[in-house]
Amino acid sequence: MAQGIDPIHQFQLHDLAGPWNIAGYEISFTNSALFMGIAVGVVTLTLLAAASRAALVPGRLQSVGELWYEFIHNMVRNVLGAEGKPFFPLVFSLFSFVLVANLLGMFPYFFTVTSHVVVTGTLAVFVVGLVVVVGIVKHGLGWFKLFVPHGVPMVILPFISLIEVISFLSRPVSLGLRLFGNMLAGHIVLKVFAGFVVLLGSMGLGGIVGAIAPLGMAVALTALEFLVAFLQAFVFAILTCVYLNDALHTHH
Amino acid sequence: MAKPSDEQSAEHVSRPELGDLSARLKDLSGRIAAERSEQAESAKPPASLEGASGYAKGYRLASEFVAGTLVGGLIGYGVDWLLGTKPFGLIILLLLGFGAGILNMARAANRVPPAKERIGSNQPPKGGSSR
Repeated sequence: MAQGIDPIHQFQLHDLAGPWNIAGYEISFTNSALFMGIAVGVVTLTLLAAASRAALVPGRLQSVGELWYEFIHNMVRNVLGAEGKPFFPLVFSLFSFVLVANLLGMFPYFFTVTSHVVVTGTLAVFVVGLVVVVGIVKHGLGWFKLFVPHGVPMVILPFISLIEVISFLSRPVSLGLRLFGNMLAGHIVLKVFAGFVVLLGSMGLGGIVGAIAPLGMAVALTALEFLVAFLQAFVFAILTCVYLNDALHTHH
Repeated sequence: MAKPSDEQSAEHVSRPELGDLSARLKDLSGRIAAERSEQAESAKPPASLEGASGYAKGYRLASEFVAGTLVGGLIGYGVDWLLGTKPFGLIILLLLGFGAGILNMARAANRVPPAKERIGSNQPPKGGSSR
């Protein structure tokens, strides 16, 4: 019983195969790895199925695929402009992975990949690392002028530069923490309210009547969580575009 | 309609090679393309969160602030650990981290132009007048 309503239990990792080790690092196949694989498989199969019968008048599945593609395509074109074309596959992959991983987490008994800061932090660090690499490749070392704004008195320039550097370095943290925090908090709150229903329901007739309120809350939260799952994938993708925009369109 | 053609003729009187119609046409289409790309550049939305709900906006601003402070504090702690300047690195960089957090938040709310827009202009930041 206590196991059933432990709200943190759903985030525990356990090995499905292994334990395997390479050079002292554990590389066992966990439930997280399984659901990452499922997410990639779902994205790939859905899009392959959507694109398999390219009809002039799209059916339901093809419409979903086209909406999905055009949504990200418009986002990349609006934020990055024509130069952003090479980054469309990256943004599309990130968005699709995060979205499907979030939505898979909404199934009962499924594991939520994006509720672990290791996963979201790795994605965020990868994005910001890419911004640095693209910026230096495109603009050379002059890209670092991003941190030295013009028209600032020499006295406070070191502080301003330091603040700009800290502000830049905080991007992967905020990008990763936001996704992780939303998914973790949402799932815990959902589990806590569902746990109330179980606890009250086992207390007889009065408890069953009292359980109606948390049940309604759990239903409402489920709807909210679906919204958050989509919204956070969207925010992750658009912030990737905004950060890449810094690297591509630095004028100096 | 009359104004652009007047401008064009006035501009190209001194350049007889453009008297040729096809050359003038090419010049015009080139200028239209330049104008269009310029318009597209300026029409680009400044990556805001206009469409997002209040919940998402609030969460975004909060996480920007927390991240700036956190990173500042961590760098300060790291500097102390490396150089042995026990409390001072943490104090100074935590305060700068607060500054970075506020800057992040103001940028996320589109109150301050991003750093790249200030590069190359010797004037004070444009955002100052709009506030």
